[in-house]
Amino acid sequence: MIGLVVDGLSQGVVFAMLGLTITLVFGLGGVLNLATGVFGVIGVIIAARVTGIVQSPYVALVVGSMGVGALGLGVDQSLLRFVYRADEEDRVMLGIFVTLGLATFLEGLFVLFYPNPYSVPPGLETFTIEGVFIRGASVATIVVGALVFAALYLFMTHTFLGQATRTVMQDETGALLCGINTRRLRTLTFVLSTVLAAIAAIAFTFSSEIAVGSSFRLTTNAVIVAIVGGVTNLTRTVIAGIGLGIITTFASGFFGGYFSQLVLFLTAIVVLLAKSGDLA
Amino acid sequence: MIDDRRKVALVVFLLALVPLFVFREGSSYVARIWTVMVFFAVLTLAVNVTFGHTDQLLLFTGSIAGVGAYATALSAGALGITPWLTFLPSALVAGLVGFLVCYVGARRQLTIIIISILTLAIQLAFISIVYGLSEITGGNTGLTFEGFALAPVRESLGLPEHFLVYYIFLLVLAGTLGVYYYLMHSKYRLAFDAIRQDDDAAEATGIDVVRYKSIAGFVSTFIIGLAGPFYAQLQGLVFPGMFTLGAIDVLVLIMLVVGGIRTMYGPVVGSFLLVYLNQQLQQFQEFKTMIFGLLLIVLFLFFQDGIVRYVDRLLRERFELEERLNRLGVR
Repeated sequence: MIGLVVDGLSQGVVFAMLGLTITLVFGLGGVLNLATGVFGVIGVIIAARVTGIVQSPYVALVVGSMGVGALGLGVDQSLLRFVYRADEEDRVMLGIFVTLGLATFLEGLFVLFYPNPYSVPPGLETFTIEGVFIRGASVATIVVGALVFAALYLFMTHTFLGQATRTVMQDETGALLCGINTRRLRTLTFVLSTVLAAIAAIAFTFSSEIAVGSSFRLTTNAVIVAIVGGVTNLTRTVIAGIGLGIITTFASGFFGGYFSQLVLFLTAIVVLLAKSGDLA
Repeated sequence: MIDDRRKVALVVFLLALVPLFVFREGSSYVARIWTVMVFFAVLTLAVNVTFGHTDQLLLFTGSIAGVGAYATALSAGALGITPWLTFLPSALVAGLVGFLVCYVGARRQLTIIIISILTLAIQLAFISIVYGLSEITGGNTGLTFEGFALAPVRESLGLPEHFLVYYIFLLVLAGTLGVYYYLMHSKYRLAFDAIRQDDDAAEATGIDVVRYKSIAGFVSTFIIGLAGPFYAQLQGLVFPGMFTLGAIDVLVLIMLVVGGIRTMYGPVVGSFLLVYLNQQLQQFQEFKTMIFGLLLIVLFLFFQDGIVRYVDRLLRERFELEERLNRLGVR
């Protein structure tokens, strides 16, 4: 039972990080980044290659997420430039289709060279505390997640850039009037969100594996978490992610994998219908 | 110029001639491609009504076709009757789903992004239900389905099977074009245009926004649900993989934009072109996903008008130029 809670928590941490990648970009720029899952899996591929050279999963984590961050910067400067040029309503639509196209393109590209599922095992064994089996990998995921949340919290509350980011999320025009360069901030948050996506996906593969072909599953999970969390609130996104992670882990533990997926989708549907007034 | 109604008849007539010249006895390969073209033309026209005219991006085209197909096959199997009796009620079920979603969406004034995520979640839920109920649905491998074969009719007419499926689809396409023609030449056109430009302004001028959006949703999903079981007949199977976002929705959206959103023939042109392209890219199978992804990006960024409008403009400019030259007495 406690073992299941730990697994659920680690799943929840991954969900929360994935949800944050959507919330950050959507909250700041009105773009629903449907490529977030692919960015994550690309991070996993880079990390898995790195572990072949350096025997440390944590070095791999850093290199993988940085690599994806660079890719994110490239995408932001090229593709998203066109998207941000459009005004409010058009931008939402354009954002959906351009990132969907990007996801399809990157998936097609990476499947050519890396069709297999990859994982980045942290090299921790299952251990027991007072007779309870706890998976080392799950603990590693939770630790990584906790560090990320702490760093993000400090960034958002204690730095100028973080405060500027929150200002833009609340009121774009107001932020502009305060002299904040919104375009630069958007670049920053987009890169940040791709780095987060990579960390989330790599932390996910501590205990399982994933292939580029199934990257869209990460994206849908991310979108659902963000939606349940209310799309523009970072704290609530984290809470929603952890909650959904625990629920789906228990559902899958008791009823099986498809059922847990179904629970996730049904939660999203119910939340969307119940409190759609607050959303976007 | 030919008027619109005759143009529709002409298009359907020309498509009806296709099998006589193109299909070959004993080889169903070419026939299949043409049938798939017509199938996607039907779906794209249906999506044109919701996404094109009422700004409702419903990302569950695949699973609505799936609802139609599974409902038809399963109910026919359970009741021991021919699917010819169950496909209309099944399409009605699909239409009801669309009606409900659009009704709730319009009532609660969901933004386009919320409704697209909502329908995506429904699509994914549908697929996992199909997998979860694998004793009934056959799970990943699916069910064999050939209920529409109509062996006696076919033999008495001496038609090969693929002719029959093609003509059924053509009939559905003709009906869909008819419905679309009606919508575009009635009060619906006005209401749709008003709603698309501004919900609130439309409501203020006395248009029942919820009603029109729900009707658009019903019409669109009913047609999609109708096409689903015949697609299954074409494949000989009903399995979840053929009704996913990647297999249906993405393609349909590309087709709609390539051909021309909010036009009558755009969906037909778009789907024919994309299916043809898909066929030509067969030998570059591994690059196909990449190419479609690029296509999606480039189209939405730079070519939102679509082929039909583009050609239309070219023709018009040419006519106008000729007219002016004639008037000037150059020729």
